[in-house]
Amino acid sequence: MSERVIVNPVTRISGFMEIEAMVENHRVVDAKVKGLMFRGFELMLKGRNPFDAIYYSERICGICSTAHSLAAATALEHALGVIPTEQGRFLRDFMHGCEFLQNHLRHFYQFSVPDYVRMPEQCCTIYEIPYGDLRIPKEKNDLIVQHYFDSLNISREAHEMIAVLGGKAPHNHGVFVGGATTQITADKVVELKNMLVDAARFIDEVTIPDVGIIAQYYPEYYHNGKSYGNLLSYGCFDNYPSLGTLYLDPMISVGGEIRPLDKSRIIEEIDYSWYTDQSDRYSPMETVPIDNMNKPDAYSFVKSVKAENLPFECGPLARQWLTGEYRHGISTMDRTVARIYEAKKITEILRTLLDNMDLNAASPGSFEIPDSSEGAGLIDTTRGALGHWLKIENQLLSFYQVITPSVWNLSSRGNDGTPGTGEKALIGTEIQDEDNPVELARIMRSFDPCVSCATHVYYPNKAPKFITIVP
Amino acid sequence: MAENNKMNLVWLELNGCSGNIISLLNGSEPSFQYMIMEMVNLVYDQALIPCEGERAMDVLFQVLDQEFILAVEGAVATKNNGRYQIIGRWRGTDITGMDALRILGERAVHVIAVGACATHGGVSAGSPNPTQCVSVQSLLNRKVINLPGCPCHPDWFLSTLEHLLNYGEPELDAEGRPVFLYGITIHDRCERRSYFDQGIFATALGEPFCMIRLGCKGPRTPIDCPIRKWNDRVSWPVQANTPCIGCSQFGFPDRMQPFVTFEISDAGQETPQVQAESGWGGQSNE
Repeated sequence: MSERVIVNPVTRISGFMEIEAMVENHRVVDAKVKGLMFRGFELMLKGRNPFDAIYYSERICGICSTAHSLAAATALEHALGVIPTEQGRFLRDFMHGCEFLQNHLRHFYQFSVPDYVRMPEQCCTIYEIPYGDLRIPKEKNDLIVQHYFDSLNISREAHEMIAVLGGKAPHNHGVFVGGATTQITADKVVELKNMLVDAARFIDEVTIPDVGIIAQYYPEYYHNGKSYGNLLSYGCFDNYPSLGTLYLDPMISVGGEIRPLDKSRIIEEIDYSWYTDQSDRYSPMETVPIDNMNKPDAYSFVKSVKAENLPFECGPLARQWLTGEYRHGISTMDRTVARIYEAKKITEILRTLLDNMDLNAASPGSFEIPDSSEGAGLIDTTRGALGHWLKIENQLLSFYQVITPSVWNLSSRGNDGTPGTGEKALIGTEIQDEDNPVELARIMRSFDPCVSCATHVYYPNKAPKFITIVP
Repeated sequence: MAENNKMNLVWLELNGCSGNIISLLNGSEPSFQYMIMEMVNLVYDQALIPCEGERAMDVLFQVLDQEFILAVEGAVATKNNGRYQIIGRWRGTDITGMDALRILGERAVHVIAVGACATHGGVSAGSPNPTQCVSVQSLLNRKVINLPGCPCHPDWFLSTLEHLLNYGEPELDAEGRPVFLYGITIHDRCERRSYFDQGIFATALGEPFCMIRLGCKGPRTPIDCPIRKWNDRVSWPVQANTPCIGCSQFGFPDRMQPFVTFEISDAGQETPQVQAESGWGGQSNE
């Protein structure tokens, strides 16, 4: 006899998600991951001025907005035949790297830590109801709570570094076609170096020990949340003309074998999601399917995305594994630990970028939009592989496709019925208490899911019920 | 509820990007920590609350017994009776963002719409408005304080909160915006104003001159970015060599387009024509 367990809302993520798990003898035998919000940016971008895609698409996500501006600018450069200057790439990749620091620290302290640490109840109501299954002794617990608040200064400074070069964050203005709109000057260099040293010291001296404490008290989380083990990256801080690759090139790992990524073999499948099109399987540049809830087998708004016909995991753990810097395992806790090690790695990359910047390098200037063209911008961001694909007709955007990291990690089943990466990570999990199934959301949070990013269309099939509130 | 005398604050996230709560976390002085320690009793925010599922929904709706201020970020998705955005499941029923706003909005002492999506639909309501997003005000038959911007600056929200807690409601303009924040345009206090007055205009990004001809919306955008700046007052879009895109105007984004253009400079018109072509005029999306 199996029991249906629902977690909704899954809090401390970006956007709205429901986990539905079938549990038998305390073990998850099937799982569905559903997003509960529709936004529809691909429809909105059609017909707009191509340059506006940069500032418009970054509003997909308030946490990883720099990533979207960078993917859009890269896709536009491809379409316009513009090659960004290396100095311009240093500047905008520096901004993007600061977003990694901001995201990884906020994901760890504000989103993950309350999974494992008792928050201070006397502060305010929001922290009053504990999460459950909290094991860390009071002294260590309270130290991490203090760091929850201390970290706000460091993640704030990470966004401040973006603003030094990009005007503001979130939703920066500095990332543009051709590179970045600002020049670096000595006053900015020293300002950025100071904040970068603060961040690197905090990660080394505070965050790495904190994640070690959590891992020590929750050892079984090294054994749950396992995905297929197929790992993917579009490349990250890679292919600079003079510096080469500072992190990793586009690559995948399948069955333990690491090889270059063939970007032409990315496809989406929609048999199990609420869309229809002429084909149920297409490459990103072919089509954006129409929503359709009247499909008996469909259960999710998130499509299925594959490379080489396989589901993949992307994100910090995938990158750290692919470079060989972290190969302890593929699990809930490994994702959390690898994210912090990656934050440390990013501070080193940012220092290299900063040290190679020329003072007063030229800004991008002005550009002309062709009558018709197309382009793709595939980059690795905080959460993993992000692609923007666009077409231009009559000097306006005529097609826009976005596939976010969270679509890879929250994929619905593929057309062949294989569960998505996140669902695979849930299946087989041992649940201690079905009334408080803390394992499920802990596993999903380890992916750093962003439903704001992943949702294209959501059509719930139930009619709304009248609700009476009795206070 | 926590044993303290502070006013309750509920932060309700609707259809948007979570950018306003992230922006609030970017506050320096005042900071997010100062807000929750010294200013208000934070009751609910989906991005920060430790508990989840039904228990989180219980925390949210228990506040109806008490006085509270409601801050809303994101637009209200009205298509299909609001079922394009479900904020959680409570007592066996999916709660839409629209339901939650109506229930909480009627009882709140004050309602603050935080950011462009909440004040007028914003980017979430961009043409063709796939989810039929509308403003917080259009769902509620009561006064709403509007803080447009994309995102809302943490100081705009926290200073409005300070006003409400200690000085009563601030003076609002006809659009519900606090005059002390939204009373003067960007253009009037722009650091590049002297170039405008001299007729020296940038024709490419990176030039240090007035960016009217690159599409700047500063002349019609009433907000204090030039003197407040962003992220611990370190910079703002014009300082980053880019035009203001009018994100605190009610016409953002559709009536602010194109955000950036290289076309206007070729024509060599007089400034008034440039104004007409760069689409400053919009005051409302709705």
